[in-house]
Amino acid sequence: MFRSWLTILAVTIIICGTPHASVAQVLDGKTLVKAELISSARAIAPGETFYIGLKLTMEPGWHTYWEYPGDAGIPTKIKWDLPPGFGAGPIEWPIPKAKLEPGDIEVYGYSGEVVLLIAIQPSADLAPGTEVTLRAAASWLVCEEICIPGSAKVEITLPVAATASASEFAKTIADWQTRVPSAEPPPFDVAWSESEGLLTAQIPASTEIQDVRFFPLPGDNQSVGHPIVTKSPDGAYSVKVKSGAPLRGVIAAKVNGEERSWLVVAQSGAAEMAETSSDASPGLIEALPPLWQALLFGFLGGIILNLMPCVLPVISLKIFGFIRQAGDDPRQILLHGVAFSSGIFFWFLGLGAVIVALKASGTEVTWAFQFQNPMFILVIAAVVFVFALNLCGVFELTLPGKAVGTMSDLSGKEGFSGSFFQGVFATLLATPCTGPFLGTALGFAFSQPGGVVMAMFGSIALGMASPYLLLSARPGWMKFLPKPGAWMEKLKQFMAFPLFATLLWLLSILGGQKGIDGILWTSAFLLSLGLAVWIYGAFCGPLSSVRTRIVAVLCALGVAVGGGWFFIGSGFLAATASAQSAAESKDAIRWQPFSQALVDELLAAGKPVFIDFTADWCITCKFNERTAINTPAVRALIEELGVVPVKADWTNSNPEITAALKAFGRVGVPFYVIYPAGRANEPITLPEILTESIVIEALKKSR
Amino acid sequence: MKLHLIATALLFTATMAIASPEVGKPAPAFTLTDSNGKSHSLSDFKGKFVVLEWVNLGCPFVKKFYDSGEMQKLQAAHTGKDVVWLSICSSAEGKQGHHTPAELQAKLESIGYKGTGYLIDADGTVGKAYEARTTPEMFVINPEGVLIYKGAIDDKPSTDSADIAAARNFVAAALGEATSGQAVTTAETKSYGCSVKY
Repeated sequence: MFRSWLTILAVTIIICGTPHASVAQVLDGKTLVKAELISSARAIAPGETFYIGLKLTMEPGWHTYWEYPGDAGIPTKIKWDLPPGFGAGPIEWPIPKAKLEPGDIEVYGYSGEVVLLIAIQPSADLAPGTEVTLRAAASWLVCEEICIPGSAKVEITLPVAATASASEFAKTIADWQTRVPSAEPPPFDVAWSESEGLLTAQIPASTEIQDVRFFPLPGDNQSVGHPIVTKSPDGAYSVKVKSGAPLRGVIAAKVNGEERSWLVVAQSGAAEMAETSSDASPGLIEALPPLWQALLFGFLGGIILNLMPCVLPVISLKIFGFIRQAGDDPRQILLHGVAFSSGIFFWFLGLGAVIVALKASGTEVTWAFQFQNPMFILVIAAVVFVFALNLCGVFELTLPGKAVGTMSDLSGKEGFSGSFFQGVFATLLATPCTGPFLGTALGFAFSQPGGVVMAMFGSIALGMASPYLLLSARPGWMKFLPKPGAWMEKLKQFMAFPLFATLLWLLSILGGQKGIDGILWTSAFLLSLGLAVWIYGAFCGPLSSVRTRIVAVLCALGVAVGGGWFFIGSGFLAATASAQSAAESKDAIRWQPFSQALVDELLAAGKPVFIDFTADWCITCKFNERTAINTPAVRALIEELGVVPVKADWTNSNPEITAALKAFGRVGVPFYVIYPAGRANEPITLPEILTESIVIEALKKSR
Repeated sequence: MKLHLIATALLFTATMAIASPEVGKPAPAFTLTDSNGKSHSLSDFKGKFVVLEWVNLGCPFVKKFYDSGEMQKLQAAHTGKDVVWLSICSSAEGKQGHHTPAELQAKLESIGYKGTGYLIDADGTVGKAYEARTTPEMFVINPEGVLIYKGAIDDKPSTDSADIAAARNFVAAALGEATSGQAVTTAETKSYGCSVKY
């Protein structure tokens, strides 16, 4: 009796009074849970986002719960008491472990240790040299055989400096961040199907993908069974979970041994999505031009591609090529023209096929998607740079069977295959330059079946190739071309400058994706490449001894590979994406940037308004935007109802947005509000976690 | 007599195996002994509304309702209106919530238990037949023996009794609607609480 009385006392007294950096929940002398706040920053800078972790250390055998606790339990909660102007994101939950208890009870939680992550946005008005204290009331349920609720008031005090510095916990926090599900789609196919209340996902076999798990995140009162993951003998995984679609969830897997996870929405595949979007958006389809018009636009767009700045250096290369070929007979020239055009067709039809394949796998693809991949741009930049140095005369490529770099040589010496590759290369650089015509034509193509997409890309290819086909078919016009001579070397050197200009443009794209660091590391890598080709050019001439040549080639390779290893491997890949992500700029919703004046004006005019409070560091926000807001059906409905979409981007501190959030009693994002037309005093607020149907329902109420 | 018992038990187990509790379908039948040694069968209560409450007096989610007296109030209000309120404890012997009938009598007396009966299901048969996973977890059965509600006790998943006042009690709502001849608006929710200690 006395013992149980003591137990109750011990459990009840969960350190009250002054908050501490670390607080313990004690039962019978055992520390069930120790709670503390850790910061990624030793010193914080005004307005610069950093991460706070709520670190829970549990007694062996005891566990706390995940965001969705499973059949029993409740998730850990954090209530913030932040200084003025500060904001906190939602808890970012590392993936849990599933635990099966007697009686077929499955729960999701953490044992040992967990760090729950929260992005903190400090006020921009902080004075360096001062200190701030962040306070939080955390509460949790910790269970072994029995369950005991715990709570703690924790706080952390951090100095303010002009520039932020990393703390000793930065690595711990970064490690836990890798266990938080990504808002991006998984890098492998997940094909969902639904039949009789059972959702099934098929994940094709891959040696890189191991230990696949699924954790459900059902909506309020959405009933969900225990996910069952099976691995077939050939290595393919299947996930089965009893639930109605759509079901949110997390797929976790070991990719090349590293723990990775992704937020997903389980619903029947692309077919069903297309059906919904075409049902819900007849306006969008009607607004598009008929097929012949789209094909014409594609053709015109293709011609215009030749005039685009990013093609200019390639055009100059082609002129160079034609100059070289002017001495050949007309039939040869025509064949070169046809080979060149085949290269163009090859690229465009290949691209079309890839898009058709991606469409079929359900991934949303936007035009010039390949230029959204920083590694792709990096490779192109390296090729362009080396090519420019070659034109400058830094080195000569005399080896047979060399790459795209010596296009002019290839076209001259290796005949039609050279022209073919020139066509491929020219088009490769042209893809991101979509003119106004091409944009419309493509907008059409992406909503069309595979055959039409291929026709579209064919017409673009034809447009781009037509001037060359024409020129090569009428070789007589070649007589206007100047005769070859010593000036050609000068011309060749001059041609390097448009290439350097192209390089600048490529770097500007990289800057948009990877920030200033991305440009810097790329430039450093290019510098090492430059040195490598200079070594090659200076010591590998025909006059050098074989020994010198071998040493030079090894040195050149060493410099190039070392530069790649060091500058790209450690610097470039770690560079963070800039505030404006590539995906966002492709947003089809015409967001208006938030200002209170704009919102007031719209509401006074009786317009329905949808405000998306978001930030780049907010994974939930990005996930909602990708899966529930920027969808064809929602886009169409926004257009149809005349709702004005307003984006309050809180990535960087913005007092106006902070004030607007506060007006709704919020301290962080995500947050969504819809003002119905003419009823500005009856705003509809949406939950933090959205599904497409929630957004559609709310939008319909805005009429 | 013995043979008859075994046959009943077998039949009973067979019924259990096929019956999965579904709203709108007949609730699984059962017979259990209460803290006073009295046997209760679901079939005894045909013609009355029956509430089943999965209970574990050591679970903080259950204590939330008993320590604040809210569960007793709810029990008294409904048993007063001719509703049968059965609390069922499926904690296995040696696990939290399992008590001998003698211990229980004292405990129920001290907390002022107001239900019809506190049934002991130490082998978990009835809990598993109802797929009860948490304490508390609530079931409402109509006079025809059909399940009309299953799930959480209310819509505020916490262990804090201060949350009860503002919460929507699903059991009271379902009984209110069903006794006045209306359809139950919220007939199924996800229950919250400790896991049942099978």
